[in-house]
Amino acid sequence: MAAIALDKIDRKFGTVHAVRDVSLEIRDGEFFTLLGPSGCGKTTLMRMVAGFCELDSGSIRFGARRIDALPPHRRNTGMVFQSYAIFPNLSVAGNVAYGLRARGVASTERNERVRKALRLVHLDGYEDRWPHQLSGGQLQRVALARCLVIEPEVLLLDEPLSNLDAKLRVEMRYEIRQLQQKLGLTAIYVTHDQEEALAISERIAVMRAGRLEQVGTPWEVYNQPANPFVADFMGVTNLLPGVVVSARGGRIEVKIGEALFAARAETGAAGDKVTLLIRPESLLLLPAQHGPPPNFASFEAIVARIEYLGVLTRLDLDLGGVTVRVAVLDKAPDHAVPGGRVSVGYDPARAILFPAS
Amino acid sequence: MTMLRPQSVFPLAITALGLGLLGLFFVYPLFTVFKVSFIDAQAHITLANYAKILSKGFYQQAFINSFAIGIASTIGTTLLGVPLAYCVARLPVPGKSAVLVLIALPLVLPSFIAAYALVLLLGRSGVMTVWLQAQGIPFRSIYGMPGLVAVYMLTLYPYVVLPTLAAFKAVDASMEEAGQNLGASRWRVFWTVVLPIVAPSVMSGALLVLIESLENFGVAFVLAEDRPILSIEVYRLFAGEVGSNPASAGVLGVSLILCTTSVLLLQRRYLSKRRFATSTRAAPPIHKVGSALNLLATVFVWGTVLVALVPFFAVLVISFLEFRGPVMHGNFSVANFQDLWNRSSRPLFNTVFLASAASLVAALVGVPIGYVVTRFRSRLSHLLDMTAMMPFAVSGTVLGIGLVVAFNAGWLILTGGWLILVIAYCVRKLPFNVRASSAILHQIDPSLEEASINLGFSPVATFFRLTVPLMLGGVVGGMVLTWVTLAAELSSTVVLYSGSWSTMTTVIFQALEGTGAGIASAASAVLILTTALPLLMVYRLLRKHQLAVL
Repeated sequence: MAAIALDKIDRKFGTVHAVRDVSLEIRDGEFFTLLGPSGCGKTTLMRMVAGFCELDSGSIRFGARRIDALPPHRRNTGMVFQSYAIFPNLSVAGNVAYGLRARGVASTERNERVRKALRLVHLDGYEDRWPHQLSGGQLQRVALARCLVIEPEVLLLDEPLSNLDAKLRVEMRYEIRQLQQKLGLTAIYVTHDQEEALAISERIAVMRAGRLEQVGTPWEVYNQPANPFVADFMGVTNLLPGVVVSARGGRIEVKIGEALFAARAETGAAGDKVTLLIRPESLLLLPAQHGPPPNFASFEAIVARIEYLGVLTRLDLDLGGVTVRVAVLDKAPDHAVPGGRVSVGYDPARAILFPAS
Repeated sequence: MTMLRPQSVFPLAITALGLGLLGLFFVYPLFTVFKVSFIDAQAHITLANYAKILSKGFYQQAFINSFAIGIASTIGTTLLGVPLAYCVARLPVPGKSAVLVLIALPLVLPSFIAAYALVLLLGRSGVMTVWLQAQGIPFRSIYGMPGLVAVYMLTLYPYVVLPTLAAFKAVDASMEEAGQNLGASRWRVFWTVVLPIVAPSVMSGALLVLIESLENFGVAFVLAEDRPILSIEVYRLFAGEVGSNPASAGVLGVSLILCTTSVLLLQRRYLSKRRFATSTRAAPPIHKVGSALNLLATVFVWGTVLVALVPFFAVLVISFLEFRGPVMHGNFSVANFQDLWNRSSRPLFNTVFLASAASLVAALVGVPIGYVVTRFRSRLSHLLDMTAMMPFAVSGTVLGIGLVVAFNAGWLILTGGWLILVIAYCVRKLPFNVRASSAILHQIDPSLEEASINLGFSPVATFFRLTVPLMLGGVVGGMVLTWVTLAAELSSTVVLYSGSWSTMTTVIFQALEGTGAGIASAASAVLILTTALPLLMVYRLLRKHQLAVL
C-alpha cells in the first residue's frame, strides 16, 4: 500500500499526444478514478503505472520509491483487465495462485492464501472450477481475487465492469469499493462512465486529449466543474451562451436569449461574452402565480417539449432562440404544456460562468 | 496500445535469430542463384546468359506455357471455387461438416500423385482411355495443357474455397437485409453487395493458386511430357543429362521467382484489404431454395469434392493390381508392395525421419517468429514477417539449386547429407508455421500475457509458462500439417537428395521416369496413407484451434 505520485508525465505515439504533462498525487488508501471519453489517455496513464507503456518524460513514485524504470513484473501492482484475462488453461485456484508462484510462495501458505482470497470475493469452494464454467460476474471475482492475493501496493482497475450487465455492474462496483476499503488498498480505476465514477470514487480526474481537465471529489467535479467540457461530460447540463449586462459586487447579470440570468462570480465586466452553466435539476418550475423562494432568481420561458422519463420529466424551454433544460421529479405540473409560458426559479449560487470559448 | 514493451530483449533476440537464419539459408542461396545468372565463364558480370536463354524459342515457349497454364488454372479454380463456397456457406447442402473436412484434403495430399493417378486412368494406355476408346470416343490422353489445368483445379481449389467460404459467412446478415430493404432483388444484392465484400478474399486465394501453379514441379513433370514448362526447365538445366548449367538454370530461376514474388506481394496487399468484411454480428442465414436447385447444389458440391479425391482412391486401388512392366492387369496382387519393400525400406524411413526433424525445427523457429510478428509490431518485425513469407513464392527447385550452389564449397559444406534436406524443408514450411502460429495467437487475448507479467512473471517466463501451453495444441496440429506436406515434398528433394537419402517421393519420381509403374503406385499408396493417418488423428485438434490448412 502506497501513495502514488505522478510527476510531469508526457507521452507521444507518433503524432498523437497521448498524455501531456500530467502531475497527480494519489493518497495512500485512496480510491482514485481516471474518467474521460475514449482516447483521452486514461488507459495509457494507468498502463504507465502498471509498466505496460513507456514514459517519454516524467516520473512515477510509489511512496518514496521511483518505479517508472522498473519492468512491469517487478512493480507489485495488481491489475484487473477489461476482459478479465483469466488464464483459460488454469483452474480458478491455479489462476489465483499464479502471482504467488511468481513470488515463490511455498505451497501450504499458497493454498491458504488462495482460499482466503476466494472467500474474500465470495467464491469459496470454487477452487477446482474451470474458467469456462463461470459466469461473467464470477470471472470478475476471480480476477479480483488474483490481484488481491498478491497484496499489491496498488490496485489497478481498467474498466472492469464494462462487460457486465447493468444490474450486476451496480452490485460489483459497490463490492469492489468495500473490498478496497476493507484492505486499505490504493486503487486507480479507469472508466468512461461518469455515473460509475461518481458512485465509487473518493476523487476523480477528468481527462481530455491527454490532459487533466480537473481533479476533485465527485461533488466538486459535478457541481463545480472547472470548464464546460467537464460540466458536459459529467452529465446532462445547460451550457447557455450569453452576454454580461451588469457586474456589481460579485453578482453578475447575463442576458441569454430574451431572459436575464443572475450568477455569482468574482470577475467579469459588462459586454463580456460568457457561457452560463446551470444543471437541469437546479432549476425549479414555479407553481402558477407564485414568485421564487427567497434569494432565488427567476425567468420566464415557453415550453417547447416535454419528455416523461419515469423517475423524472425533462422539459425543454425556449428562451427565444436558446433552449434550456429543466428536470423535475415525477411528472410536470399541470400548467406546463407545450407552447405555454412557465416561470423558473433557481439559486444564483448554482449558476457558474465560463468565458465563452 | 495493447502491445507489450517492444524494446525488451526477448523479441529483438528472436528477430535477430530469425533474420539470421533466413538470411543464411534463404536469402543467401537465392542471391547465389541470382549471382551465377549474371556471371559468365570468366567471372565477369554480364547479361549474356539472359540474352542467350530468353532469345531461344524453346524457353520463350516455356514462359508462355507456364503463364497460360497458371492463368487458366487460376480462372478455372475461381469459377469452380466461388460458387462452391457460396453453396456451402448459404445453401442447405447436406453433410456440410464432412464437406468441410474433405475440401481441405487436396491441399495436404501430394498433388503429383493425383497427376500420376490421372495418368494411370487417362494416360495413353490408361484404364479409362482404353474404355473410352472402346466406346468409340476419340479420347487420346490427359497429357498436356488441359490435363495440367484440370489437375491444378482439382488440387488447388481449396485455396479459393476456404477463404471465400469464410468471407461469405462473415458478411453480416443485416447488409443483405439492408440491400433488399432498399428495393434490390436478392440477385442484385448478391452482385452489388455480397460479391464486392468477398472479392478481396477470392482474389487473395486466386493469387495463391497462380503462385502454386507457376512454381509446381511434380504435377508439371508428370503431365507436361516434352512441352517446356518453366519450373521443369530450371531443373533440367541444373540437373540435366548433358551436364549441369547453373548459369542458365539461374536465369530461368530468377525469372520464375520474380514472377511468383510479385504475385505474392499483390496477394499480401489484397489480404490486408480483407478486414472490412469481418465485423459480423449476425451470421447470414441459410437460404431456402427449391428442391431442384438444392439437388443441383448438392451434386455440384459433393461431385467436386469427391472428384478431387478420386485420384487418391484410384492410386490406392491400382497399387493392389498386378503390373507387368508399365502395363496394368486386372489381377489383385501385393507384388508391388513386395517389390517396393525388397528394393529398399530406407526411403520410407528417410521420409519419416526428414519430415519429423524438419517439422520439429520449423515449429521451433516458426512459432517464436509468429509470436514476435504478431505481438510486437515494429518496422523490424514487419521485415521479418515479409521475409518469412517469401519462401512461399520460391519454387522448391530454385531454392534447392540455391542451397547446392551456396553450400557445396567454401566455409560451410552441406551438400550430400540429410541436413541440407532438413534445411530446405524448414525454409519451405516456415511461411505456414509463422502464419499458423500467428493465427493461434490471434485467438489468445494479449491481456492474458499482460496479466501474467503484472502478476510477477517476466516476459520470457510468461512466454514459456503461459503462451506456450496456450498455443501447444495448435502448434502440434500445425506440426502434423507440416509433417504431412513434407512427407510429400518433391521439388526441392529431387535437387538435393543424394545416395542413401532418397525419399518416398524420389522413389516415385524415379519410377515415373523409368518403367516402374507398379512400384510408383505402391509408393504413392504408402505415401497417401502416411499422410492421411496423422491428419485423421489430429483432426479434432485442428478444428479446435481453427487452424487453416493454407
